[in-house]
Amino acid sequence: MQTEKPLPTFESVEAKVHRGERLTFDDGITLFREPNLLKVGLLANSVREKRHGDRTYFNKNMRIEVTNVCVASCLFCSFAKLEEHMPGAHTMTTQEAWKELEDRMADPPSEVHVVNGLHPGLPFTYYEELLRGFKRIKPDLHLKCFTAVEIHFFAELYKMSYEEVLTKLRAAGLDSLPGGGAEIFHPEVRTRISNDKATADQYLQIHRVAHKMGMKTNTTMLYGHIETFEHRVDHILRVRALQDETGGFQAFIPLAFHPDGNGMKNLPAPTAVDDLRTVAVSRLMLDNVEHIKAYWVSMTPDVAQIALSYGADDIDGTIVHETIYKAAGSTSPSGLSYDELVRLIREAGRTPIERDTFYNVVKEHAKSALPEAAMKVRDRKQNRHLEVLS
Amino acid sequence: MTLLQDTLEREGLWSVREARRRGDLVAVTAAMPALRAADLLALGALADEIRTVDVGADVRFCTQASAAERAAYRGVFVPRAGKTGFDFLREVAIARITAKPAACVRVDWDDAGFELSQVALGFGANEIWGALANKRGLPILDEEMKKVKGEGMVSLQALKRRELSRLLSHVGRNVVFVETSDAD
Repeated sequence: MQTEKPLPTFESVEAKVHRGERLTFDDGITLFREPNLLKVGLLANSVREKRHGDRTYFNKNMRIEVTNVCVASCLFCSFAKLEEHMPGAHTMTTQEAWKELEDRMADPPSEVHVVNGLHPGLPFTYYEELLRGFKRIKPDLHLKCFTAVEIHFFAELYKMSYEEVLTKLRAAGLDSLPGGGAEIFHPEVRTRISNDKATADQYLQIHRVAHKMGMKTNTTMLYGHIETFEHRVDHILRVRALQDETGGFQAFIPLAFHPDGNGMKNLPAPTAVDDLRTVAVSRLMLDNVEHIKAYWVSMTPDVAQIALSYGADDIDGTIVHETIYKAAGSTSPSGLSYDELVRLIREAGRTPIERDTFYNVVKEHAKSALPEAAMKVRDRKQNRHLEVLS
Repeated sequence: MTLLQDTLEREGLWSVREARRRGDLVAVTAAMPALRAADLLALGALADEIRTVDVGADVRFCTQASAAERAAYRGVFVPRAGKTGFDFLREVAIARITAKPAACVRVDWDDAGFELSQVALGFGANEIWGALANKRGLPILDEEMKKVKGEGMVSLQALKRRELSRLLSHVGRNVVFVETSDAD
């Protein structure tokens, strides 16, 4: 997959961004190939600040992976176990999953994010009861559960349409869908790394159906393995096209590939420069997606913090107990405390905003604790008075 | 006005840039509060411009510096020492902006990690020290070999150097490997 005609210059892309024009496939390639990452970052940051100022979002969430038993054999996955009896395979009972939440009720999350393997032996009622149980424990809890890949698997396994699956799960308490499972949409890559699960069209169709039912969803892109820049731009443009149609995506989340313990362990992981560039290009190309997330689990808290200057306006949440990236060799912690997230955002010179899943403001924190002299310089430049509220 | 110029103006760095171009390091150092408060990317852009003029596109990799060589180093070493990645990059950029013309600005990847060291190269650093390591951070020894299709047995050190050279050529930089430090 190669472009043949000469690519536009960076300056011409920059001018289009300033004019508010939509960027093309070739513009995206120019941005990925621009050697000076700072220029791309500055441009992405200008768009980010136009949309969000220095507001940076996070939430109090927790991850629960109820089963890692999975019939799919994705090359990039270090989490899945093919069968229940294999070493390391686990499937929680609904009671065990609920206990994970109950144990957190002293300081409860606003959102539970559930992502699982494609387990061939569980009844559909297991998932319905799982959701109902979470809502019984905390009725106002937001349930962001099951990737489009899981929804497709449910539809095939339990002989239902996508609409039927989503309708039943919503009735049980499902509020929105996470974005996992997108990987890389282009078939040149997708057929090589994850050939036995939902196709790109099926993934996008499920999100389309969910959006038309009034649900909000996120979407992702797994980068840094065998794909090219062209594949990445193609992926981003497919997201943009569906967003034009439905407007249902809340956030785009670039996910860095981690190679440990999976079928692509011979590949190096993407570097921090690649992480930052991908965040920046995503911000510039996705003119119709409100939020770009720097997922700290995949790119480490250090790099995610820097990504807040390269176009990202969200750093995800407390998470507490992430296992999928851990299995692939991520050196990030399993969770971050609320205060650590606030500190990370403040140290980046941004205003931390605790949000709910729909980006409604739960709590706005004071911007930063810069030294007094530095704060005065900022005051003068911005010609406004800053007050530290907390 | 370019985005860069606009950003430097907005962050109060245009005058610092002009002072640095005149070689007026006193004025540059006097602007430290502005440097400390400036937007990270604006600071990086200024530092990167100065790095390009001062030392060009070469990145010196010193893989076997002894403790004595480290102690006698005459460039500017920026340790990470408990800083966040964000603050570390800010310090690297400030080191470049306030350093004497043509000075080396160094980061150590066994201190800052490869990820941040690589990003630091865009914020004014032009030297990285530290033993070549695999992705788990373990040093790659001289005698370690790997079979490569069409090339026979190749040392892992050579492969790592090739990989690093390729990575940095993507961002417009050239790698110069040195076995020991002779940097001033």
